[in-house]
Amino acid sequence: MLKVENLHASIGDKQILKGINLTVKAGEVHAIMGPNGSGKSTLASVLAGSEKFTVTEGSVEFEGENLLDLNIEERSRKGLFLGFQYPVEIPGVTMANFMKLAVNEQRKSRGLEPLTAGEYLRMMKEKSAIVELDSKLTARAVNEGFSGGEKKKNEIFQMAMLEPKLAILDETDSGLDIDALRIVATGVTRLKTPENATVVITHYQRLLDYIVPDYVHVLYKGRIIYTGDKSLALKLEKEGYDWLINDYKEE
Amino acid sequence: MVVNDLVTTMSAQGLPASGRVGSGAWALAEGVGGDIVVEAGAVARLLVTDSEGAVDINIDMERGSRLDLLHVVNHHSATSMAVALAEGCECRMTQVVVSPSDTRVVASLMERGARFELGGVFVLTDEDQASITADVNHVASDCTSRTRVKGVASGKSHGSFSGLVYVAPDAQRTDSEQSSRNITIGEAHIETLPQLEIYADDVKCSHGATVGQMDSDAILYMRQRGLSLADAKRLQIDGFVQDVVLHSAIEGVEETLSALLDEKLNRL
Repeated sequence: MLKVENLHASIGDKQILKGINLTVKAGEVHAIMGPNGSGKSTLASVLAGSEKFTVTEGSVEFEGENLLDLNIEERSRKGLFLGFQYPVEIPGVTMANFMKLAVNEQRKSRGLEPLTAGEYLRMMKEKSAIVELDSKLTARAVNEGFSGGEKKKNEIFQMAMLEPKLAILDETDSGLDIDALRIVATGVTRLKTPENATVVITHYQRLLDYIVPDYVHVLYKGRIIYTGDKSLALKLEKEGYDWLINDYKEE
Repeated sequence: MVVNDLVTTMSAQGLPASGRVGSGAWALAEGVGGDIVVEAGAVARLLVTDSEGAVDINIDMERGSRLDLLHVVNHHSATSMAVALAEGCECRMTQVVVSPSDTRVVASLMERGARFELGGVFVLTDEDQASITADVNHVASDCTSRTRVKGVASGKSHGSFSGLVYVAPDAQRTDSEQSSRNITIGEAHIETLPQLEIYADDVKCSHGATVGQMDSDAILYMRQRGLSLADAKRLQIDGFVQDVVLHSAIEGVEETLSALLDEKLNRL
């Protein structure tokens, strides 16, 4: 589904990604861990198409297409979803309105008719239940005045509405108490199918108690320096990154 | 059309010019000035619309009255409005400006316990030039004021906001907020001049002003969900502007105001 090869990206003069290789297949869950500043969020932003970063080398194939040729919204419509670490507030734009536009854009690109008002309401009701999102929030402005937990639930709610092929969740667990974490993680797990895939970027092993990864990658200084199975996350939680980093010499 | 729609929605009775008004909904004849008295204890709603030219409107609110006022500016006009609030009065004003104009509001909180709120928005395109001035005088103690004006300007248009909050020496325990938030697109300019003049010591006053481009993080967020760049920009501006309509002083007029703003926003 996703094939990243030798991906290099920079912001201004600063090289952040220095040769990422990553292959994600349908039905898989990948976790990306690593110390602060290693490039985890940059990788997520670059895959989503953020114009803040410049890809200087390498390639990314998504569903058989060159992802780097597509702009942000085209990537989204092809089925790539990014759960933001810091969801943005949009005053005056209600959640319900925003999602209606987004869902119908996605449908249009798949050759489907826009949803009727009734169909849309039913869909919102059904999907908001997955993350126990208070239905009143959909009448409010996007993320405005939402608590930290509500913002993250709202990201997963949007993921449920858009049914992406590949969801990249950028530190969706940060700043969540244990209840919110459980709800968010359970939501992600319920949305899993053999046809879609999830990449979870996280600092903490605790999220991976709920979302069990097939692969755990360690990102350090812009490269994936180690890949293991779910037991790697436990080892990292206990022992930190030093044993890995000490092994790794920058060229 | 807009005026008729508003008059109908508000079920407003015509008000030829000067006069006393009690409880109920009133519409001042288009582009007409005069002296209006809101009777003590009345709960009134007033629609003020403009035509080409200049008018002065003086509103005197008697004790304990409440006035919800909607001011729509869609002609080349200059309107000067003065509102004086007696003890315990409350005036909420919504101002929607979609044409080149000068609009001036002076609110004077003359006796204790009065409250004045202004929510305004101007949308300018092409070569429009418009200004909104909002001066609030806290003459008496224990009064509250809120002034929130937003502006969007595109093309070669020019907008300005000037607002003074004056707090007299006797106006202790004044609670005042003033904000001016603006978005410019292309070559347009917006100037904002918020001012505070405070002579009392026990007060809570805040003011702030911003002039900026669109929020690129919000645009990225919307595009990541599948909206085109153009749709994301438009939605953000819509949200910024319609926020004023959502908090309109008069209920029921939202649809008409939204349509009026939409028509103008389509020309950005």
